[in-house]
Amino acid sequence: MTSLTAPGPGRTAPAVAVRPARRRLPVGRVLGWGLAVAVPVAFLAVFFAWPVVVMVGKGFVTDGRLDLSGFADVFSRPRTWRIVGQTLGQATAATVLSVALGVPGAYTLYRRRFRGRAAVRALVTVPFVLPTVVVGVAFRSLLVDGGPLGFLHLDGTFAAILAALVFFNYAVVVRAVGGLWERLDPRATQAARGLGASPWRAFRTVELPALAPAIWSAASLVFLFCATAFGTVLILGGTRFGTIETEIWIQTTQFLDLRAAAVLSVVQLVVVVGVLTIAGRARARRERALSLAATGTAVRPLTLRRRPADDGHPLALAAAGVTAVVLLAIAVPLVNLVVRSLRVDGGWGLDHYRALGAPAPGVPVSVWQAAATSVETAVDATVIALVVGGLVALVVSRRPRRRAARRAVAGFDALFMLPLGVSAVTVGFGFLVTMDRPLGLAVDLRTSPLLVPIAQAVVAVPLVVRTVLPVLRAIDPRLREAAGTLGAAPGRVLRTLDVPLAARSVGLAIGFAFAASLGEFGATSFLARPDRPTLPVMVFRLIGRPGPDNYGMALAASVVLAALTAAIVALAERLRAGQVGGDW
Amino acid sequence: MTLQVRDVAVVYGERPSAGTRAVDGVSFDVPTGEVVALLGPSGCGKSSLLRAVAGLEPLAAGAVLWDGADLAGVPVHRRAFGLMFQDGQLFAHRDVAGNVAYGLRGVPRAARAGRVAELLDLVGLAGYGSRPVATLSGGERQRVALARALAPEPRVLLLDEPLSALDRALRERLAVDLRSVLVATGTPAVFVTHDQDEAFAVADRVGVMHAGRLLRLAPPDELWRAPGDRDVAAFLGYEAFVDVAAPSAAPLLAALGARAPRPQDAPGAVVALAEGAFVVTRDAAREDIGGAAGLKGVVRGVTSRRGRSEVRVDVDGVGAVTALAPVGARWEPGDVVPLTIDADAVTVLP
Repeated sequence: MTSLTAPGPGRTAPAVAVRPARRRLPVGRVLGWGLAVAVPVAFLAVFFAWPVVVMVGKGFVTDGRLDLSGFADVFSRPRTWRIVGQTLGQATAATVLSVALGVPGAYTLYRRRFRGRAAVRALVTVPFVLPTVVVGVAFRSLLVDGGPLGFLHLDGTFAAILAALVFFNYAVVVRAVGGLWERLDPRATQAARGLGASPWRAFRTVELPALAPAIWSAASLVFLFCATAFGTVLILGGTRFGTIETEIWIQTTQFLDLRAAAVLSVVQLVVVVGVLTIAGRARARRERALSLAATGTAVRPLTLRRRPADDGHPLALAAAGVTAVVLLAIAVPLVNLVVRSLRVDGGWGLDHYRALGAPAPGVPVSVWQAAATSVETAVDATVIALVVGGLVALVVSRRPRRRAARRAVAGFDALFMLPLGVSAVTVGFGFLVTMDRPLGLAVDLRTSPLLVPIAQAVVAVPLVVRTVLPVLRAIDPRLREAAGTLGAAPGRVLRTLDVPLAARSVGLAIGFAFAASLGEFGATSFLARPDRPTLPVMVFRLIGRPGPDNYGMALAASVVLAALTAAIVALAERLRAGQVGGDW
Repeated sequence: MTLQVRDVAVVYGERPSAGTRAVDGVSFDVPTGEVVALLGPSGCGKSSLLRAVAGLEPLAAGAVLWDGADLAGVPVHRRAFGLMFQDGQLFAHRDVAGNVAYGLRGVPRAARAGRVAELLDLVGLAGYGSRPVATLSGGERQRVALARALAPEPRVLLLDEPLSALDRALRERLAVDLRSVLVATGTPAVFVTHDQDEAFAVADRVGVMHAGRLLRLAPPDELWRAPGDRDVAAFLGYEAFVDVAAPSAAPLLAALGARAPRPQDAPGAVVALAEGAFVVTRDAAREDIGGAAGLKGVVRGVTSRRGRSEVRVDVDGVGAVTALAPVGARWEPGDVVPLTIDADAVTVLP
């Protein structure tokens, strides 16, 4: 080394006191992160893993011994193969259709500007947040004999289920792909055009590959939602069509065959883990690369007449055409639902809505009381999901230096995605079986008003994580380092940087958690006490009862539920600043 | 009060033995009031070294000390070392004053506001306090970042290419401003850059880094006059090297006069030529002044920089070098031009 200044032994004492060197464990930090990991893990273990394991165990343990003969038995039934085939077939077809329709939709709604775009985007989102029961009722009322589209004789067909699944999941593709497309740097495409590529070739060879991770990620999610669809398929499928999830419900509640239910739960888990793995890979790719421009720099106005500077106008028109047709197809069931709820004995009236105030037939409460129960439950569930999901997102957003720790974080992330796909029916029934003495404690949680919110929170946690996490991950690590060099301890960095920046996405997370909880049906159908049904449970009971009045009430209740959910999500979207906000 | 860096090594990768050694055995001191620049090409480890000093990268070996006290185990936020990034890293959710005040925790409100105003004034942004940071230009952002880093009166300020993202004119102006601010506040600083002019404009001493090692650390003029070895000289812009014993070295040594060693006294030494070591002349009489009678070069190409012509010439026994030429001179490739020597752009490496 050259030119060293000799370290002076006899220099004056420092003006700023240097704390002595020490290498002790930072107790506060270890404790804090330990809690951030322990609380969600404990929650997941007690309220998800345990009930599921107990339920699955009931199928495989006879007389205290492991008995896997259930697999052979269940798989020897043709019915099982039909259901598995239908699940995969429906999910695959619905995913392909959703992507094929969703990509043009993403282009039209996120790369083009036109009057009323905000309203159209909101309309597209409505089906996604609608409770599955409502989607089922809306399609059913459209397709039944005597309905507006009754002449197509689609009631109870594969096509009807497919249409409902695409209706439900179109928004997932549009939002995920559009969110990325909007920010994609347009100069790469412009460079391709400059090199002589036609608009179509530039799209196919430059833009599509850049969007591929988002498309893959969205497709995996859609597949997941379709493969585990419950309420929609239960209402539309009749006896001929089902998914593994509805089959688990039928085996559990109708045939009381817990062994078959357990086998099917495992099959579903295998499918789900496979899909989540693919989704995780696609997401990881997406979060790594890509050069993004500021939101909106790539957005051009949409015009029907060709303008000189408008590149690829025929493509844009084709996309806009497809989108317009899809929008119409989305609007029809929604409008029909409202219209039919107003039909009374060949005339028009608010009779069905008036009937919502009185106790419904066979149930001690009115629909309005059920709605109040739903909201109360959803508030509790949202709070729980926000705390647990927020902690998970916080932990997963960290990139530790050690590889083993990074793997642990990735595993932690995957773990909390599981409730998205594991049979909610299994979870719900598992709750009933395990919560009489949770952890051996002498409290019967089955009568607790917290039971339903907890079950719904289990489902909502992944939504919260996926909404908040991308925002936390997008914070430049050097921002935290800058704060550190300014004297901010890790706790203060968290409080002054991560929390304010993530807060922008929390509004949206609240909205989605609330909507998911309001619409949750699979687990709630088991857990809601007879005298305290939630709105989706009420709707399902009303459909099951004969008579046009009950049916009319079900339609009216569905409209109330849809309006409630849409209002909550619209409110949450308002809270979203800028365009940050996760995967959907 | 001195920042002492002792044999510091930074290794990336899982195991210290197998990883990439980004920084390898670097030692230097920064006493109070001094600005040290670390100069090197990208990837030479200078930023890693800076992050290690700040406490953001763990040390694989060595120590960072403040007045003899080892800082190992002292976390970033307790070191009171300011750090300024290339892209500022301002907090977008706070306004300018909120950014500058971030490090002033525990200071009473009135004193804090006063300090913020004082610093904004110092960096030439008086009255900008309530502006959202998104409305600032690149140069203004860096000024805010500087004010923010200086606000808590850091014991040392570490600057990681703070001017590199700016355009040239702004960079040159800010380099001068930066120097005056650092001198005015008496803050010792370590300044990392790949731009030699910037380093020479800002620093009291300049260190040249290469492949994780600190090759030489010296005041700018001394570094320029005596780069020490060929790697350093090449990085500083010395473009041709001639063995002192070679016949073509004779006119160069003659031009150096008393500074030149005799070839027999310095075996293995080389004469290093910076851009402009040769000057094209049209005045044949002047050829004798430099004692370089008959020194000629073959023109390869002519470029213009800030109005002056730079001529790429082939000189026999030296190779291709960049010679300065008078304004307005015109040559075609292949022309043979007479050359004189500017001794200030020539040095001898041991």
